[in-house]
Amino acid sequence: MANVQLQGLKKSFGAVEIIRGIDLQIEDGEFVVFVGPSGCGKSTLLRLIAGLETISQGELTIGDRTVNDVPASARGVAMVFQSYALYPHLTVRENMGFGLKVRKVARVERERAVADAAALLKLDALLDRYPRQLSGGQRQRVAIGRAIVANPSVFLFDEPLSNLDAELRVHMRSEIASLHQRVATTMIYVTHDQVEAMTLADRIVVLRDGRVEQVGAPQELYERPANIFVAQFIGSPKMNILNVDAAKALLSGETLPQSATQCGVRPEHLQVGSAEGAGLRGTVTLAEYAGAETLLHIELEGGDTCLALHRDGTPPRVRSGVTLTVEPSRIYLFDQNGVAVPTAA
Amino acid sequence: MTNSLSHRSGAQARAPWLTLQRRDAIEGWLFVSPTLLGFLIFFLGPLIAIFIYAMSDWNFLSGEATFVGLANFEDALLANPDFWLVLRNSAVFALGLVPLNVALALFLAVALSRPFRGVIVFRTIFFAPVITSAIAWAIVWKFLLQGEGGPINQMLAMIGITGPNWLREPNWAMAAVIVTRVIKMVGLNMILYIAALQAIPRDYDEAAGLEGASRWQIFRLITWPLLGPTTLVIVILTTIGSFKVFDHIYQMTGGGPENGTLVLAFYIYQQGFQFFDIGYASALAIIMFVIVTILTLIQVSLRRKDDA
Amino acid sequence: MTRASWNRLAWIMALTLLALPFVFPFLWMVSAGFKSVTEIFGAPNLIPRVWRYENFAEVFTYQPFARQYFNSLYIAGVVTILTLLISSLAGYALARIRFVGAGLIMLLLVTALMMPDEVTIIPNFFFIRWLGLVDTHWPLILLPVFGAQGVVATFLMRQYFLSLPKELEEAAKMDGLSRFGIWWKIAIPMSRPALAAVAIITFLNSWNLFLEPLIFLSSLEKFTLPLALSNFNDSYGLPLWNLQLAATTLAVIPVLIIYLIAQRQIVESFALSGVKG
Repeated sequence: MANVQLQGLKKSFGAVEIIRGIDLQIEDGEFVVFVGPSGCGKSTLLRLIAGLETISQGELTIGDRTVNDVPASARGVAMVFQSYALYPHLTVRENMGFGLKVRKVARVERERAVADAAALLKLDALLDRYPRQLSGGQRQRVAIGRAIVANPSVFLFDEPLSNLDAELRVHMRSEIASLHQRVATTMIYVTHDQVEAMTLADRIVVLRDGRVEQVGAPQELYERPANIFVAQFIGSPKMNILNVDAAKALLSGETLPQSATQCGVRPEHLQVGSAEGAGLRGTVTLAEYAGAETLLHIELEGGDTCLALHRDGTPPRVRSGVTLTVEPSRIYLFDQNGVAVPTAA
Repeated sequence: MTNSLSHRSGAQARAPWLTLQRRDAIEGWLFVSPTLLGFLIFFLGPLIAIFIYAMSDWNFLSGEATFVGLANFEDALLANPDFWLVLRNSAVFALGLVPLNVALALFLAVALSRPFRGVIVFRTIFFAPVITSAIAWAIVWKFLLQGEGGPINQMLAMIGITGPNWLREPNWAMAAVIVTRVIKMVGLNMILYIAALQAIPRDYDEAAGLEGASRWQIFRLITWPLLGPTTLVIVILTTIGSFKVFDHIYQMTGGGPENGTLVLAFYIYQQGFQFFDIGYASALAIIMFVIVTILTLIQVSLRRKDDA
Repeated sequence: MTRASWNRLAWIMALTLLALPFVFPFLWMVSAGFKSVTEIFGAPNLIPRVWRYENFAEVFTYQPFARQYFNSLYIAGVVTILTLLISSLAGYALARIRFVGAGLIMLLLVTALMMPDEVTIIPNFFFIRWLGLVDTHWPLILLPVFGAQGVVATFLMRQYFLSLPKELEEAAKMDGLSRFGIWWKIAIPMSRPALAAVAIITFLNSWNLFLEPLIFLSSLEKFTLPLALSNFNDSYGLPLWNLQLAATTLAVIPVLIIYLIAQRQIVESFALSGVKG
């Protein structure tokens, strides 16, 4: 069990700076997810913590130790890789026990650790198989089992679910969540999938271009995004960003802060009404029906387009005129740099 | 579960001498050290040495060495008619061998890149001389190409042709060493071409076939341009190979007749180890080094461009 | 017959004709190895009229041919094992370890990649002489292992290591394996194809090596096969054809048999080294 501290962490490959100074405090037992578009540095950051990359600048502390120059295997961390990285020439049992064997842990103890982890993950029946004889989901569980056997103070996950199909991904997601509840160890998890991030995390760290954009609980990021990037990255379908005039039309009469130049409204918060009422006027250009909801593409007067989720009742037809309204508290304002502007309400 | 990882206790002092980066560097150098040490002793050192040797007049037998500056090069480039003969022979050898080898390799590869009954037999046959010792190959051909009573001339005689004394007449000897060398080495280029041909997606051929292109048109307009990078690499590798040829010449002609097949690699050996003229032989080695380095650089830069 | 099958027949005929100069020397070598000196120069016939098996016995009395055969075998074996070891270590470091100087080392090694032995053979001769190792097998082992051959092997191994998934080695690192352990227990077992290619090419190169034996060896019982083969001459320096061809048959045929058995693997090895080396 350990907390993890990152202070001014930087990493460059040659002249290219990938991680540009990150400060972060991860509490003991917390489940933290690093999320961001590809190339944002999230995997590199995880590898810095793991000890698979050397830190160019800054300080990394795990527990009460500075580990910048402690080899990966002595940091008390275990990692679950995207490709699972199971040794093809070893059985499941040997794969899970490999780390302990390398560390010269006594055989009895080793076998008990493997058995415990196998029981936890329901792998008992597979212990004598080779990785090639396992399905994707089973391999994933073995990879997690190997991490558990190492009994680390921090678990690291590098996009562990991205090689699984959609159904298995949902299933494994819940298994990882329940694993965290049982072992209550610090977990750091990297993904590019914001749904995974939202459902698993105690706290989410949104990264872009090697910098932290915002850190917070999922609900906090959803409800109070710090800037347009986070606002659009969290939530699906992504938030509509419109000219601030749209907000004036939606809020009819309220005065807005001077600095606000853009506004954002999530598709699920827009209410779609008939063409007569007050609000934003537009025309439906495309309606994507998905059963429980319909995603409407709406061309607004003035040329902007926005998305709206229509839930109950029959959705409006394509080419019909609609009026959009929204609860005032669901409108987000941003300044010209994309930074959130607090609303009066 | 007992903890095997986090028991390592004790706060680490900040920035120890053995940082992870230093550890990587030490391991890296340790891993390459045998190769590097061998390289310095048996390649880089000798390379520097030939530059020193080349500037001295050193006869190995008498043991006397005097500094003569660039006299060995002057000797090579201006005074010694043999040198120009050797360069001419090396050029003729390369110019004869490379086009013949590459063209034959391409022909064989095109014929043998698609499966048919017996394709493996043919590939096996055409590649067999590659793995055979050059000395053995040269011994057999020297035997076959003898003037009187040689099997080839005897067979030619049966159809009424009087064969020349192949290895005793300068021009025939050069032709003979070129052709027998091509037969020995063409299999290597053939398999490189086959690999390249098999990497070309068949969609291209099929699309062109649907558009009504003939097989020759498909080859000329699609296959040949796609083989371009491979051909460049093959041409350069084969050219370098032609400068390396030594065993073959040694065994078949010994550089003769009348120095007609005296090429650079053999000439270096002759000057250094038969006439013991170390300074002059070293100057020749430098010339060879320069030629091969230029060809290597071209090859490496082509490959870079290819990768990018 | 259809036009297509005529076409095919024509191709096969052409290829067969073309194959003659590739096959014929091997056939004639074996045939002449069984002939007497007089028959060798008689009317050409592939099947000997009189099978003279004594040629093959005389090969062993004319020179210590068994000993020479063994020399070639064990030297090629030693060279192969050393090359595998050293080139896979260096290739691994150049593929996987980030360290200052790796780029420079690569650049240096490239200069040796295709350099003929003739370029450095003179200083190497003096160095070996200074070490007192002339007329021993040491130069036949050291020069190929550390020369262009070794460099080709190093680049080949590096290229292969680069193509392997990195995560397996990283998992091993996190499991606590040392760098050496990762190389030996993870990377090497995954590199069988590249190791086989290096082994095949290195063995054949050593087996066929000629310049170094020619320069360094003077005692008959230390000769290797190619040097021994070129040495079947009478007192006037003229070839003893039937003995020479019998000896050549003994040297070449086992390699050809192995080649026929492992044809695919051997050809692929050369393709790999040609493309990547």
